[in-house]
Amino acid sequence: MKMQGLNHANIWRFKLTTATMTLIPAAVGINYVAKALAEGLKLPVWLGSLGTFLASMLAGPVAGAISGFINNVIYGLTLSPISTVYAITSIGIGVAVGVLHAKGWFSSASRVFVSALIIAIVSAVISTPLNVIFWGGQTGIAWGDSLFALLVANHAPVWLASFIDEFVLDILDKVCVAYLAFFIYRQLPQRMVRFFGDDQQ
Amino acid sequence: MTDQRILSENSHPKPRWYNTIDPITKLLMILDFSLLSFSTHRLLLEAGFISVTFLLLLLSKVSPTTLKALGFSLFLILTMLVIQGLFYSKNQVVLLTILGVNFYKEGIIYAATLGSRVLVIILSTGFFMVTTSISENAKYLEQTGLSYRTIYLLMSVCYILPEMMRNMHKIQMAQKVRGTNPQKTLMQKLKSILPVLIPLVIKTLDQSMERSISLQLRGFNNPKRRALATPYHYRLAPLAHISLTMIAILLIGWQIWSKINLFL
Repeated sequence: MKMQGLNHANIWRFKLTTATMTLIPAAVGINYVAKALAEGLKLPVWLGSLGTFLASMLAGPVAGAISGFINNVIYGLTLSPISTVYAITSIGIGVAVGVLHAKGWFSSASRVFVSALIIAIVSAVISTPLNVIFWGGQTGIAWGDSLFALLVANHAPVWLASFIDEFVLDILDKVCVAYLAFFIYRQLPQRMVRFFGDDQQ
Repeated sequence: MTDQRILSENSHPKPRWYNTIDPITKLLMILDFSLLSFSTHRLLLEAGFISVTFLLLLLSKVSPTTLKALGFSLFLILTMLVIQGLFYSKNQVVLLTILGVNFYKEGIIYAATLGSRVLVIILSTGFFMVTTSISENAKYLEQTGLSYRTIYLLMSVCYILPEMMRNMHKIQMAQKVRGTNPQKTLMQKLKSILPVLIPLVIKTLDQSMERSISLQLRGFNNPKRRALATPYHYRLAPLAHISLTMIAILLIGWQIWSKINLFL
């Protein structure tokens, strides 16, 4: 296993140094490009949190949370206004990935799967109230919304139907992103992991 | 992103009426319009808010980005009307029947209210999107006292993205030349992303390291930093900030009071 970027005891320590200041925009850019690639290949996943995963793994949960937050704010103010409110979900994802990585839950392929499940639950729990407030419980993805309609038609509570709609989409997305991030992180040069990780210690 | 980039490239545009409104006032307007639309269940009022925000957009300019955001949301609102019209839990009164399928009044009204709120947010944000540039936002935010580190975080993304997109196209072209074929199955597609993503991520992070070292060498941490002037003269900015913030506080307070009253 590669050396972790951060010590376990220091995961919540955060300094806005020049290294983190350049890592966070890069992470937002990676989110954007990964999403564009997924859309270009017509994949049934978003991949729009890959940069947030990598920022959390490299510089800790706070850096990851800030990356996620800025990602949605910038995306919301330039492309899709409603994305801004989902900044809360991105913060949750950043924190969850950072903590799980620091606790060693990104050290093997089997552990990555468990991490992806936990992150998907975090994402769905935070997104569900937002989906209910803004979209009556829908997610905007056709097959997820078909499931939502089926559940509501069978008198399932809106909150439960919305959670299931969000979770089935999130689980697929977060498993793909978690494995991509795990694989990419292992390919990163050691000097890079140290450069961004040491900066927070 | 396109609108912001185009606006930033045009260094000395002729000032229009919306250039006299500062970026923070525009952001507070988004907040106030959103709070106003969430504070009512009356469709007529919602229609009024949509008209005002749409008029603001028409009087400034309509961009392809705003139209794209509107198109996606209108499609989602349409599906919401169908799903809620058919299955909303409080459905009782049949509003219309299409091909033997009943659509209920309560569900349609509920979906229309939610849809109107989304439209108000998109239209008011659209006004901000098409009338401000990256450099104007950065300079104004620094003038108002926001730390330049935070501004760098927010604004540098807009400059890094075009560079990343160029890198991505280069890598994609290189992979195609090496004989990467179009993929059909999901697994093939996911695997085909790796040869593009890995070099792209490593190159991006490498450039971040270089940028970080450059920033340190250029004295980015220098505490004696002077904020740059914005290209426009803003009218009544402090008054607008205070008034719009007061409206936002009143609307939030009213909402909280209404919720408390429900339990009393």
